[in-house]
Amino acid sequence: MSKKTAAKMGRRDFFRKAGLGVGAAGAAAVGLSVSSAQAATPNKSADKGAGYRETDHVKKFYELAKF
Amino acid sequence: MGERLKGLEVSEEEQLRAQWYSLLARLLSAPPDQALLTMIRGLKGDDSDLGQCIRTLAAAARATTVATAGEEHFNLFIGVGGSELMPYGSYYLTGFLNEKPLARLRDDMAALGIQRADDVKEPEDHIASLCEMMAGLITGAFGAPVDLTRQQHFFANHVACWAPKFFADLQASKTAAFYMPVGAIGSVFMSIESQAFEMAA
Repeated sequence: MSKKTAAKMGRRDFFRKAGLGVGAAGAAAVGLSVSSAQAATPNKSADKGAGYRETDHVKKFYELAKF
Repeated sequence: MGERLKGLEVSEEEQLRAQWYSLLARLLSAPPDQALLTMIRGLKGDDSDLGQCIRTLAAAARATTVATAGEEHFNLFIGVGGSELMPYGSYYLTGFLNEKPLARLRDDMAALGIQRADDVKEPEDHIASLCEMMAGLITGAFGAPVDLTRQQHFFANHVACWAPKFFADLQASKTAAFYMPVGAIGSVFMSIESQAFEMAA
C-alpha cells in the first residue's frame, strides 16, 4: 500500500470514529445552499449572484448587521 | 454543488466534512427558521463527541422556538449597540474589524477563485462565511476541489488561528442556550479537522 493510500485510510477511519458519518450533518445540510461566497467570475456583471440565494432570514440578518 | 462529475472526485468522508462545515455555516449565518428548527429537533447522534453534541443541539432545538432562537441569535451576534460576540477573524486576532487578517483572507480568496457574493455586506472573515468557504474548497464549489495541502493552508491561516477560541466563547456564553451546542459542535469539529490535517500531512 502506498504511503498516500495509508494516509487516506487513516483519515477515513479517523473520521468514522470521530462520528462524522453520524448522518446528522447530512440531514441538516440538505438544502443549505444559502451562500455568502461564490466562484469569482471574470465578468462580474454577468450572472449576478451565481450560487447565492437570499432567503428572508438572510436578508433580515444583513439588514440588522448594517456594517 | 451537486454536479455528478465533481461528486465522483470527492470521497465520501470529504463530503461529510463539507456537510459539517455547511451545517455550521447555516447555524451561524442566521437564526433558524421553522423548517430548520423542526429538522434539527429530529436529529439523532451516536456516542461520539460529535454525536453527543448533536443530541444536545436537538434537545436545545426542542426547548426553543423560532422567536426565542432569533432573539438569542440577535443578542449573541448582532445586538445593536454591542453584540456579545464578534465572530470575525480580524476581531479575534487584532481586536478590531476589517484588519490585516481580512486583507490576507481576501488575497487567498482571490488566489482560490472565491469572491464575496453580490449583495453581501458582511466582511468575508465572518465564521459562517469561512465555514462556507471550507465546504466549497472541499467540494469544488469555486472551481475544482482543492487538494488537502491547500485546504490545510487555508484552514490554518484563516480558521484554526481563531475559530476554536470563538466556539469556546460561544459555548461558555451565558446568553447561549440553543447556540451553546452549536459552539460545542464547532469546538469538536475544529479539533477533528486539525487532527485529520496532521494525519494527511
